[in-house]
Amino acid sequence: MDSDFQTRDNKGRLQRRPMDKALLVSVLMLCVFGLIMVFSASAVEAGKKFDNPMLFFNKQAIFAGIGLVAMLVLARVDYAIYTKSVVVWSMLALAFFGVLACKTPLGLTLNGASRWLKAGPITIQPAEALKVCLVLWLSYSLNKKSLKIKSFSIGFLPHLIIPGMLMAACMLQPDFGTTMVMAILTFTLLFVAGAKLGYILLAAIVSTPIVYFLITGSAYRLARMMTFLDPLATRFTTGYQLSQSLFGYASGGFSGRGLGDGLQKLLYLPEAHNDFIGSIIGEELGVIGIWAVLLLYVVVATRGIVIAFRSRDTFGTYVAFGISTLFAIQALLNLAVSMGLLPTKGLNLPFVSYGGSALLITMAAAGILLSVSRGSKYEVAADVEELAESTDTDDKSGRHRKGNRRSSSAQKGK
Amino acid sequence: MLLLTRDRRFWIRIRICFIVSLMMAGTIAVGWGAWSLGVVRQKELSDIAREQYIRRISVSARRGLITDRYGEELAVEVEVDSIYADPREVKNAGYAAKKLASVLDREQDVLQRRLSSRKHFVWLKRRVSPSESTKVKAMKLKGVHIVKESKRFYPSRELAAHVVGFAGMDSRGLEGVERLFDDQLKGNQDAASGLADAQGNIVFSKGVFGADKVVGNNIMLTIDRNLQFEVEEELKNTVRLFQAKSGQIVVMDPNSGDVLAMASYPTYNLNDITSSNPDKRRNRAVLDVYEPGSTMKVFTLAAAINSGVLRPNEKIFCEKGRMEFYDVVLHDDHRDGWLNPTQCLKRSSNICFAKIAGRMGSKRLYRYMRRFGFGEKTNVQVPYEMRGLLQHHNEWSEFLTATIAFGQGIGVTGIQMATALSTIANGGKLMKPNLIRKVTDAEGEIILENTPTVRRRVISRRTARLVTDMMTAVTEEGGTGSEAALEGYLVAGKTGTAQKSTGAHGYRDKEKFVASFFGFVPADNPRMVISVVIDEPLVSYYGGTVAAPALRRIADKALRDMGVTPNFTVRRGNPASKAEDAELSTEREQEGTVVENTAVNEQAAMITPAEIPLKKGQVRTPKLIGLPMGLVVSELAEFELRPLFFGTGVAAEQTPAPGVPIDKGEYVQVNFSPNGEYEGNQ
Repeated sequence: MDSDFQTRDNKGRLQRRPMDKALLVSVLMLCVFGLIMVFSASAVEAGKKFDNPMLFFNKQAIFAGIGLVAMLVLARVDYAIYTKSVVVWSMLALAFFGVLACKTPLGLTLNGASRWLKAGPITIQPAEALKVCLVLWLSYSLNKKSLKIKSFSIGFLPHLIIPGMLMAACMLQPDFGTTMVMAILTFTLLFVAGAKLGYILLAAIVSTPIVYFLITGSAYRLARMMTFLDPLATRFTTGYQLSQSLFGYASGGFSGRGLGDGLQKLLYLPEAHNDFIGSIIGEELGVIGIWAVLLLYVVVATRGIVIAFRSRDTFGTYVAFGISTLFAIQALLNLAVSMGLLPTKGLNLPFVSYGGSALLITMAAAGILLSVSRGSKYEVAADVEELAESTDTDDKSGRHRKGNRRSSSAQKGK
Repeated sequence: MLLLTRDRRFWIRIRICFIVSLMMAGTIAVGWGAWSLGVVRQKELSDIAREQYIRRISVSARRGLITDRYGEELAVEVEVDSIYADPREVKNAGYAAKKLASVLDREQDVLQRRLSSRKHFVWLKRRVSPSESTKVKAMKLKGVHIVKESKRFYPSRELAAHVVGFAGMDSRGLEGVERLFDDQLKGNQDAASGLADAQGNIVFSKGVFGADKVVGNNIMLTIDRNLQFEVEEELKNTVRLFQAKSGQIVVMDPNSGDVLAMASYPTYNLNDITSSNPDKRRNRAVLDVYEPGSTMKVFTLAAAINSGVLRPNEKIFCEKGRMEFYDVVLHDDHRDGWLNPTQCLKRSSNICFAKIAGRMGSKRLYRYMRRFGFGEKTNVQVPYEMRGLLQHHNEWSEFLTATIAFGQGIGVTGIQMATALSTIANGGKLMKPNLIRKVTDAEGEIILENTPTVRRRVISRRTARLVTDMMTAVTEEGGTGSEAALEGYLVAGKTGTAQKSTGAHGYRDKEKFVASFFGFVPADNPRMVISVVIDEPLVSYYGGTVAAPALRRIADKALRDMGVTPNFTVRRGNPASKAEDAELSTEREQEGTVVENTAVNEQAAMITPAEIPLKKGQVRTPKLIGLPMGLVVSELAEFELRPLFFGTGVAAEQTPAPGVPIDKGEYVQVNFSPNGEYEGNQ
């Protein structure tokens, strides 16, 4: 495990490692693949509606360029900065108010959902940023609470209240998909950090009626639920989009019709370049294409987990794990929805789906992940126990020298 | 995390691994989901999807256009209604069938059977008239729907019918270029199915990615529409005048090999295939193999001069018009003595050419005939081209060698003759005849472009020059083709009058002839080769009488259209000029009548058309000016009138005028022009 440790220079200062190349390469591959698929899926619609087949592709390419810069810059920024309470709280607050602002005249309402902020020619989806901010805040908070996570009032409850508020804001839009992703992120991070399983199960049991109420209380979500149960029966009404998506996968067969040769995107499948781009991949590149994309996500997530394991401090572990989980569940949920395996909707395929701000935020999150892979120059330890091995480079030595290095959070003691 | 105690680190890792294993399970589930949809349920889902597509096919893939060399449309697509049903939506099949049978001209029980099937989609009647479609629409029968389908339409009807060919009900090319280039013309049906959106609208907007796959490629012919029209008129008049069985004319550019016109008569209306028979649809220029007769002498002469067995200025004894040759006697029309090669050709002496053939020998003559392209396909872009009939020289008797030299015992096609003559006209090169100028896709990108192709050099430039001069003599005074002489232009030509062989052993029918004439103009700088073949004329049978005048008139009009300036110093007084004068004066007379007619029309126009009372079975001509071709078609169909179109673009002029009463089923002539303003023909 020696290689997992950061080296120190001759003055004893921690050195950052080179970034994780495999992660960088697989993220870039996903982005390029996404651009190709967005072009293939959107050209007809863009040509018909805007008389410019390249319109969506061009927009997406510009955001991919900005996203690339953001990713590389954030990879250089030491992630220790996110342990500063001012930084993490203000980021969270900004995203939170951004989500709330969607309901004001600043926002943009499409198909009955107010998920966007208008900023000149571009539209921004603050909920995308909110997910990443939630991961950072949870990591920050769980790291700070350290072993107190076991307690209900100090460790567990705050991590339900704050995310709960964020989720409520998302439900106002309404954005059920993002809410679900945030709930999953919260529970998994709490679980990994060591929250009592009983509390988590309790919270899950309590929230079940809320979810049930949310579904049955909204006619369209109920309809969507019914659609999910039998999409083909409702293929001329509510199940139209999902049925078309299934047809896309089916007509692709094992090896696909060939890139660019799909028919479903020819205005049959609405939002082909967006939430249902998976169906276009299935149609044009077949089962094998979907598997290839899944493999890329597995590589991204696996590298993320490896980064989490290799992080010196627990904060980095939580951030790396949180971001890779975010990528993984979002990709899985998106594909599962477009295959009719899950009912919810409104999630994009990370790095691939059309959507400028979503791509930018996702690439920025990948940048943060790359930053964690490089390690920090600072000691980001949260409590005394962590300090125990701060000078210890050998895992097997088993020596526990406590208190020879101080950190601000350590003063809080037990 | 590495800084944590071993114990805590261990448990965090375990918990992460637990979450990771859940995500792996999710990944496998999604991977299996793709397999399930794409492989396991593929057939089931694709079938439903296809059914949905079919429900929404608005048009079969749109066929590409066929245009002439200048882009004038010869075959276009127009949209018409088709009626289909979803039998599962139909409540009372019997009632629906009865009502539909009353308007659709279909058997009631056939309709009922279709309406009671268990399918989701059945055609009831395709490509119905607008009145049928409105009546069905008005019935508001549940489950009975109307979609737009595209239908082939040939705006110029008979024009170049044999070249263009036609496409059948399911948009499959059945004849001519439509058949030979079916793969290029037809669009991608699968893609077409997908191109209709949920409302059944078609997504044929320009610049749409993938649209090029749906719309077939456009084909530009080398045919010149105006010239083709003249040629067809001339051919029709000639065949009718001489009461011939059939006829064919090929006009070719000798320098490029482009076929400028290819006409056969009898002909047929491409929009009304059912009323024609296979004989009328026969493209005679490539399908009819005939014995050319004397026109063949041109090539014998060229071969003899080129191989050196005949000097251009030597004299051949013509035996006073009678020569015993083996057990037969050869006759010439003229009792000539010694003739030079020019005179041989001018007088078309069989005896002289039998002698020339004897000098050449069968092997050499055969080789030249092959080099001129006889006995092989020219590979012009027409289906089922015939290769003609040319036996190997081993099979030739000396007698056959002699008769082949003057065009009996050899079978050729019109296109072969035109191609071979081009060799003389262009200085000795055999060109590949070409009917397709280029193929472009829907976006205008060139898929295929034919450039002039030289297949081989057959004779030297000098030989070609000499033979041209000799052929020019044919159209001079005293030549057999003097009827082809043209004021202001040198015409090189040769007549052909061949008795038709009907029996197996050379028995010749005294009554049946093929009269032909071919030539090129201007002889000093050839712009076009024209071959006129008239089969079984009754009134007269000499090529010089029957076919030569047609060539003259075609050449005259075409050269003027091409802007080739006549050179009056070239021609001495020629015998045709009188006829020419007569011709001109009749034209002047005709012009006179035209003027009178207009005057009459103007008087008639004093009362407005709307005041003319309608008789039974009559309708008022709709106003068509300003409408595009597609709308004109549907507008005319609405009034049960038939279209007769000229030009492309927007309707600029119509006959009869709007409001004038017209019998149903009559033709309305509409002239189109790109800017909507019509300038007269002349």
